[in-house]
Amino acid sequence: MKTFEEKWTAWLDGDLSEQERREFEASLPDKGAAEDEKREARKLGNLLREQLRHQSMNNADFFNHQLQQRIARESAPAFGSKPHSQSTRWTIPRLIWSGAAAMALFLVCAVFVLREKNPTDQSTYTTQLLKARVDPVVSPNATISMFKSKEDKVTVLWVDGLQSLPSEFAAK
Amino acid sequence: MQTEATPAQADVSELDLVKQCQTGDTQAFDQLVSRYRTRVFGMIYNMVRNEQDAWDLAQDSFVKAWKSIGRFRSQSSFYTWIYRIVMNVTIDWLRKKQVKGTGTEFDDSVQLKEIDPASRTSPKAEALPHEHMERGEIRARIDAAIAQLSPEHRAVILMKETEDMQYHEIAEALGCSIGTVMSRLFYARKKLQTSLRDVYENV
Repeated sequence: MKTFEEKWTAWLDGDLSEQERREFEASLPDKGAAEDEKREARKLGNLLREQLRHQSMNNADFFNHQLQQRIARESAPAFGSKPHSQSTRWTIPRLIWSGAAAMALFLVCAVFVLREKNPTDQSTYTTQLLKARVDPVVSPNATISMFKSKEDKVTVLWVDGLQSLPSEFAAK
Repeated sequence: MQTEATPAQADVSELDLVKQCQTGDTQAFDQLVSRYRTRVFGMIYNMVRNEQDAWDLAQDSFVKAWKSIGRFRSQSSFYTWIYRIVMNVTIDWLRKKQVKGTGTEFDDSVQLKEIDPASRTSPKAEALPHEHMERGEIRARIDAAIAQLSPEHRAVILMKETEDMQYHEIAEALGCSIGTVMSRLFYARKKLQTSLRDVYENV
């Protein structure tokens, strides 16, 4: 369903079918005024065509030259040549993959280290004595050896050459 | 629509030129530009009324066309396709200019209320004291009248009256319906008839 504006425009431009034209003209309250307006619209069209149609372009060849230079500068990526920025070493996907690989390597190393150094495998004595220090001035010939059996969950610390052993470290 | 080439040459080789452009042939694009540059420039000039701006916008339009010619599928004619780019570039520019400026140059919400669709644009205006207006003065009056239209109304009336484009071609170039084109033509004509009646009655 065409609006009044659409029908009017089509009527002015002679784009209505014969039946549409008859119906539209019959619906006009003042056909004479409408015909006057049609003539005015044609005069307006002629004026615009006459005055605006032949706009000249100075330096047309320079226009092409300038355009070719711009195109060369902004070289279109649409024809298979990748833009320079895409050839940089650290692209976002590469950074993501590198980060993920580093994280995986860290996790593997952490698992191995934690397996080797499980604190529950050490006895209370070992921990205490290893933290203690043998003063070479007081006990110059002191040697400490540690024996550990993971299966039996037993750790033996062999201390030799101590002048004295603090009472808190004595075997209970 | 006519081009700067002869119609026969245009019909035969335009599609070939487009295909060559799609393989990256800048010389083929240069030929296409030569065919349409004057009309494109003239169309933009009539919309923006400044030679330097029209030049720059025409350049921008052709650069955009070059960048996207790989996506042209020959479903529409090349000139409708290029006009769509030209209209997008020019209307965007006019809109931005309006936002930066006072914003009073054209305002549909005000203008359309001023026009009663059923109003009669006649009776005729009184004649000017002199019979013949100078060409420069006529052009200035036309430019001033067109400046009062919104970018979309300008585009529609210019494509219809100066480019002889059909409703469907204008609709395609502007990306709107044929009904919208006809409605815009209605209001643009009414507005221009009101502004220019004394001009076209006395020329």
